[in-house]
Amino acid sequence: MEYFFIFVAIVLTQNFVLHYFLGICPFLGVSDEMEGAFGMGIATTFVMTLTAIITWNINTFILEAFNVEFLEYVTFILVIASLVQLVEMFLRKYLPELYETLGIYLPLITTNCAVLGLALFMVLREYNFLESAIFGFGAGIGFTLALVIMAGIRGELSEEDIPKPFRGTAITLLVAGLLALAFMGFSGLVPS
Amino acid sequence: MKKIVRMVLVLTLLGLISGLALSLVSNYADPIIEENEKEATREAIYYVLKSADSYETEEVDGKVIYRALDSSGELVGYAFTASGGGYQGTIRLMVGVGPEVWKVKGIQILESSETPGLGGKIRGESFKSQFRDLVARGEIGLVKSGEPERGEIKAITGATISSKAVVKIINTELSRVRSILSTGGE
Amino acid sequence: MQDFVRGLWKENPVFVQVLGMCPTLAVTTSLINGISMGLATTFVLVASGLVISSVRKLLPDQVRIASFMIIISSFVTVVKLLFEAHIPEISSQLGPYLPLIVTNCIILGRQEAFASKQPVGRSLLDALGMGIGFALALVVLGGVRELLYQGTIGGFQVFGTWYKSMVIMVMPAGAFISLSLLVALFQRISGRK
Repeated sequence: MEYFFIFVAIVLTQNFVLHYFLGICPFLGVSDEMEGAFGMGIATTFVMTLTAIITWNINTFILEAFNVEFLEYVTFILVIASLVQLVEMFLRKYLPELYETLGIYLPLITTNCAVLGLALFMVLREYNFLESAIFGFGAGIGFTLALVIMAGIRGELSEEDIPKPFRGTAITLLVAGLLALAFMGFSGLVPS
Repeated sequence: MKKIVRMVLVLTLLGLISGLALSLVSNYADPIIEENEKEATREAIYYVLKSADSYETEEVDGKVIYRALDSSGELVGYAFTASGGGYQGTIRLMVGVGPEVWKVKGIQILESSETPGLGGKIRGESFKSQFRDLVARGEIGLVKSGEPERGEIKAITGATISSKAVVKIINTELSRVRSILSTGGE
Repeated sequence: MQDFVRGLWKENPVFVQVLGMCPTLAVTTSLINGISMGLATTFVLVASGLVISSVRKLLPDQVRIASFMIIISSFVTVVKLLFEAHIPEISSQLGPYLPLIVTNCIILGRQEAFASKQPVGRSLLDALGMGIGFALALVVLGGVRELLYQGTIGGFQVFGTWYKSMVIMVMPAGAFISLSLLVALFQRISGRK
C-alpha cells in the first residue's frame, strides 16, 4: 500500500510539473502539439526510471559509503548526461524506429530539471530501492500526464482569438495555473 | 586515437580539480553546518522545556533522548525529536515531556513544508501553545470543532490533516519513548 | 557594454527567453527568497562563465557539454555549502531548488551560446547582465507574490491590517498565474508581437 501511495502522490497530488515546478522548460516548449508531447513524456519517463535506479545505487554504495556526499551534484548530473547519451546510442542501434520518434527529445532531457530534481528528492526523502524506482517511474508518468493535458488544451486554444500580449508564453502559463488549481482537487487522496 | 586520449585526459583532470576543490570547501563548511544544527537543537530544547538550564544527550535503544536539568541539577523532563509525514512532506518536531512522561511540556516545529497560511500555521504560537503542559496519560486527542477537553487539542481551521499529522507523530513517538524510559532509561 | 545591458531588458532570461522557469516559479514566495536565488544563480553564472571562457580552447568538442556540467555543478556545490554554513534558514527555505541551479537552462545556455566562444571580458559582462536580469525578474515576482499573499514586502507591512491574506498566491497555481500576468505586461510594455 505504501508503494501505491508513493505512486499516486507523485502522479496526481504532488505532480512534478504542477506542484514542484520541475520540468517547466520542456512543459512550455513541446506542449504545442500532442504527438511531440507524448513522445517527450515517454522518453523522459524512461530516463527518469533508469536515473532513479542508478543514482540510488551510486548514492547508497559510493557517496554515503565513502562519506563524499559533497560530490552528489557533480556525480548525479554526470550520470544523467551519460545515461541520456547511452539511451540515445542504444536506441539508434537496436530500435531505429523508436529512435526516429524519440531521438530529437533525448538531448533536451539532460537539462530537464525534473530528472536531477528526482534524484535529489529521492535522497532527501531517504527512499529505499523499490520506493525510489516507483518514485522515478511515477514522476515520469506524472510529467507525461501534465504534458499531454497541456497539449490537448493548447490544441483547442490555437483556434481562439487571444489578446495580443497573452499570445505564446503568457497564455500557456495561465492555463498551467488553472491546471495546478484543478490538480489541487486531488489533495487528500493520499493519507498522511 | 589522439582525440580520445585528450578527451579522457581533459575529463579526468576536470574531475580531479573539481573533487579537490569541493573537498576543501566542504572541509571548511561542514563543521559550521554541524554547529548550526547543534545550535538549532539546543534552542528547540530550551523552548519546549522552559525550566531547563542544561541538558545531557543520551542514546537508549537507538533513540536519542535529551535529559534536561534545572539550575539546581534537578531533572525537569526529557526532550526528543519525532518525525513523520504531513500534508506536504515530512514534519520534524522537538517534543518536551515532564519527568514522569505523562505530561507534554511543549513542542517546537523543526522542519515542515506545510502550505503557508494553512497547514503552515502549525508553526504559529496559538497552535503550539496548546501543547504547553498538556496532560496526556494515554494518547493526545484532537477535536475539529467545539472546545477541547483535558488531553485534547483543537485542530487548525482548514488544516485538519496537518494538525492530525502532528498529533499522530507525537503520539507514536511518545509511546516509544515511554516504553524505552520505563525499561532501560531510568 | 551592450553585452551587459542585453540581459537586463531586451533579452531578459525570464520574461523574454522564458528560461530557468523552475526556480523562478518555485522559490518566489517571498522577496527575500527571490533575491537569494537570484544572487546564487548570478554567482554560478559568472564564475562558470569565467572559467569556461578562459579554458575554452582546451576543451575538446565532444566532451564540451560534459565539461560544462562538471564546472557548473562544482560551483553550485560551493554555493550550497556556503549557504548552509552561513545562512542556514534561507538554505532550508530554498531546499532542493538551490542545487537545481545545475540544470537551470540559462546557465548552460549562456556557456554554449556565449562563454565558450568569446573572450573572458565579454563573457563576464554577458554573465553579469543575464544574472542580474534573472535576479530582477525573481525579485519582481517574489515581491508581487509576497505583497498579494500577506500585504508585506520583504517582511515590512505595506497594506494595513485590513488586508486578508490571499493563500492562493503562495501555492503553485498563484505562481503560474502571476508569472503569466507579468509576462503579458512585459510584452505589452515592450510592444512586441
